[in-house]
Amino acid sequence: MLGSVALFVFVPFCKIKCTYCDFNTYAHLSRWIEPYADALAREISWRGERVAQGDAAPLRAKTIYFGGGTPSLLPFPLIEKILHALQNSFALVADAEITLEANPGSADVSRWRDLRALGVNRLSLGAQSFDEAVLRRLNRGHTVADTLETFDAARRAGFDNINLDLIYGLPLQTLADWRATLERAVALAPEHLSLYALQVEEGTGLAHQIARGKYPMPDDDLAAEMYELAEETLDAAGYAQYEISNWARRDVFRISKFEVVDRTENLKFASRHNLTYWRNEPYLGFGAGAHSCFGGARYWNISSPVEYIERSGRGESVVAGGEGIPREVEMAETMILGLRLNEGIAFEAFAARYGEDARLRYARPLREAREFGLVEMSEWRVWLTPRGRLLSNEVFWRLLPDATVQNAA
Amino acid sequence: MESTRIRNFCIIAHIDHGKSTLTDRLLEATGTIDKREMVEQVMDQMDLEREKGITIKAKAVRMFYRARDENEYELNLIDTPGHVDFTYEVSRALAACEGAVLVVDATQGIEAQTLANLYLALDHNLAIVPVVNKIDLPSARPDDIAHDIERLLNVPNDQIIRASAKTGAGVDRVLEAIVARIPAPVADATLPLRALIFDSKYDAYKGVVAYVRVVDGELHKNNKLRLMSSGLEVDALEVGLFRPKMVAGDSLGAGEVGYVATGLKSVREIQVGDTLTHADHPAHVPVPGFRPAKPMVFAGFYPVETNDYPLLRDALDKLKLNDASLTYEPETSAALGFGFRCGFLGLLHMDIVQERLEREYDLNLIATAPSVEYHVLKHDGSIVTVDNPAEMPGGEEIAKIEEPWMHIQVFTPQEYIGPIMDLVVQRRGAFDKMEYLDAQRVLLTYFIPLSELIIDFYDQLKSRTRGYASLDYTFADYRASDLVKMTILVNDEPVDALSMIVHKDYAYARGAALCKRLKEVIPQQLFPVPIQAALGGRIIARETIRALRKDVLAKCYGGDVTRKRKLLEKQKAGKKRMKRLGTVEIPQDAFMAVLKLGD
Ligand SMILES: Nc1nc2c(ncn2[C@@H]2O[C@H](COP(=O)(O)OP(=O)(O)OP(=O)(O)O)[C@@H](O)[C@H]2O)c(=O)[nH]1
Ligand code: SF4
Ligand SMILES: [Mg+2]
Repeated sequence: MLGSVALFVFVPFCKIKCTYCDFNTYAHLSRWIEPYADALAREISWRGERVAQGDAAPLRAKTIYFGGGTPSLLPFPLIEKILHALQNSFALVADAEITLEANPGSADVSRWRDLRALGVNRLSLGAQSFDEAVLRRLNRGHTVADTLETFDAARRAGFDNINLDLIYGLPLQTLADWRATLERAVALAPEHLSLYALQVEEGTGLAHQIARGKYPMPDDDLAAEMYELAEETLDAAGYAQYEISNWARRDVFRISKFEVVDRTENLKFASRHNLTYWRNEPYLGFGAGAHSCFGGARYWNISSPVEYIERSGRGESVVAGGEGIPREVEMAETMILGLRLNEGIAFEAFAARYGEDARLRYARPLREAREFGLVEMSEWRVWLTPRGRLLSNEVFWRLLPDATVQNAA
Repeated sequence: MESTRIRNFCIIAHIDHGKSTLTDRLLEATGTIDKREMVEQVMDQMDLEREKGITIKAKAVRMFYRARDENEYELNLIDTPGHVDFTYEVSRALAACEGAVLVVDATQGIEAQTLANLYLALDHNLAIVPVVNKIDLPSARPDDIAHDIERLLNVPNDQIIRASAKTGAGVDRVLEAIVARIPAPVADATLPLRALIFDSKYDAYKGVVAYVRVVDGELHKNNKLRLMSSGLEVDALEVGLFRPKMVAGDSLGAGEVGYVATGLKSVREIQVGDTLTHADHPAHVPVPGFRPAKPMVFAGFYPVETNDYPLLRDALDKLKLNDASLTYEPETSAALGFGFRCGFLGLLHMDIVQERLEREYDLNLIATAPSVEYHVLKHDGSIVTVDNPAEMPGGEEIAKIEEPWMHIQVFTPQEYIGPIMDLVVQRRGAFDKMEYLDAQRVLLTYFIPLSELIIDFYDQLKSRTRGYASLDYTFADYRASDLVKMTILVNDEPVDALSMIVHKDYAYARGAALCKRLKEVIPQQLFPVPIQAALGGRIIARETIRALRKDVLAKCYGGDVTRKRKLLEKQKAGKKRMKRLGTVEIPQDAFMAVLKLGD
């Protein structure tokens, strides 16, 4: 896959702001949507040219991901415009995965059909919960019925690869509530599920509500139980967990008797775009606050959408900052990201990439993590145990090189 | 200058009543410091002083003042700290003066250290210039406060100056009163030199610098000097005065305040309170000095990184150069490794030393809970002093344990007498007496074990009196008590640095409270951690820290990688700041948990 990248497009607009959300996204900025799409198209063409410099051919791209925010808020012509900009600047592989994130509330089959025809082949729907009270409490701005209708419309329009986002560990949420949501999600038979453990982030509406005593702080142990319940429920329903927070229907591309069924490569509906991140491979991000990782460096755009538009309009760079990734840090990140996958890190692949044996370099952290029952190892690979998935940070921080810790302190 | 034109005085008050701010105005009014160079509390130069807004060390400055009588006077001012831990600094300063400006906050009135410092000044026969400060504040009650002072000092009301160190109102009257009411030093330039050392500091270029008040005779640059108690001879490499920075000159005359640079390498060679005289023409009788400050509370300081031990030793050596009241000696702890047992004047002093070590020497320290010094009489007739609970001999060896008791004075509006009584009784205190200062305010005095005083007594006092009560204390005596050693076990291992000495009747309650508190401050580990309190071999309290089951489980996509790594780096750095005991990581707070048990 050398010389191929994943492309990410960030859309910082939402209909309303959910109480728990600390993303770089804004309600009431709809008048900026059009200029924003123009700015995106400019950034894409400009960067497409730049990264292709030296190479005769444009860079190959294997996935496109419209994330947000709520990309589905963009009118169809704008999505089309951005996609065309991408197609003009990069060489999309034939079976490229093109995902669009959407929030429930758009049951218009013909619109979904248009998007499908445009080439969007994967839909990620922010269902979050099948509990009306929860949706209201989080100010999600949609109902369960909206979710069902939107899902149904997308299916009818031909979307055969749909992800549902769910959130758990909420204030007042019980294990039974969570079970009900899981069951209703599974009943829809989506190809993919993404489960997000709520983090009460500073400065969010939810954090204020908790501080004021309106809601209790969610209990960590209960959230752990919810996670375990999800693992059991989804496994029983035919989903393979392939990453700490991600499950794909257990459909596989091919099975020979030498192949392990759950190996991520073979999972037909594993998110190929996100796999790029977890394998620490290059990607380019476009839009306000978007991050890119390319050519040994990571850099990020200015996060204010309005400033992004203005700078772009003046023909100025929209990049806000960046960091070179020293080899030691890159190796640690590869380990940390790779361990998020159930298949873990293959020693041979690591050695092929870095010319070093991960078992030696990380002997001590791996030994400690094993003693605490957080990882398991075979001759070929190392992976997180179920307990390790719940306590992954306890493994991850141990893998960081010491020098960077000094800088952080 | 002729000694009749010299005035040596200090400014004393309860903490925060405005001593340093008044000093600012005096420096300004006398043109010692230009208005443009003025900053608030200009004398408080130490970083920690500026940050905490308090004076820690007493400081001297010389000013020249043309009085209304058209004469020019030399005023030697010493600004003193108000906090009770540094009372010792005040008494040193008093020994160098003939008078004291007593500042009283017009909103707060007379408080505990107002009285304590006033009595110290009266003990030294100083002339007192009372000033009611902060009259600019809307809540000021200058007349009431002046009335209180009038009764206390038995001075006519019109002698009590109303001033504002903020606006400068009344400052001219303060200056005139200093000239008029404080006597000139009785000094005889013809007698052999006697100079009282009231402070000292270490200077990288000048060596040990002694702060002196010349009582008799004259002190010239290059004089050969002798320390009267030790007989040590030194050269006066430099002589000078404070304006407020050190300014070199040729000599210090009788009655004057200034400094002598000795070139000595360690302040330990110079005893504050000693007298300097001429080596070739010595005086016979030293100036009556004062007792050196004795540390009252003791704590172990340990580097978190064991490699930092030599660094800690050097840092303590250097701090000691400017802080004679700090003591330390090496000690080892099974739990914490190599460190030092340090002695302090009080908890604020301890805090300040720890902060300076961490900040100025970039050390990362674990401090154990402070302890007092116990006198232990053993059955074999020997007496040992124990300032580290871990070193308390076994119960079967002990015939008797004595602990230091303090005499405390609490100044309070009368409606809080009840709650204060309750608190003192809970802390094993004994009532001494009660005096009404006026219809509303009383002065309560008690005897109380020092070990109880250092366990958040002051915070409790403040919270039970809504901040109205103030506290002063002095050492009273050693008294026998029924004390036992309580051991704390973390993950089934005794942690010597967490042991404490408690009164038998309090052991169960304290043990339970401490286990509970430790459970709150020790972060969850990857396995359950039992915490137990034991007397002898008997467990008297137990808590269990549940194992950590889940940490942050957030999603992680492209944009988050850098952020996520930063969070992990922080987590890792946090672990580094904790002390590992076996497999359990213990933060600094845990060692201080005993101080915050509540009641
Ligand atoms: N309004 C008003 N505030 C004052 C006055 N004098 C001092 N203050 C304020 O009171 C606080 C304490 O003043 P300091 O001069 O530091 O008091 P201090 O007595 O030197 O305190 P310690 O050295 O810590 O005992 C500061 O915030 C001053 O600004 C005054 O006359 N009026
Ligand atoms: S829809 Fe998603 S991005 Fe938008 S406010 Fe809600 S949580 Fe945030
Ligand atoms: Mg002060």
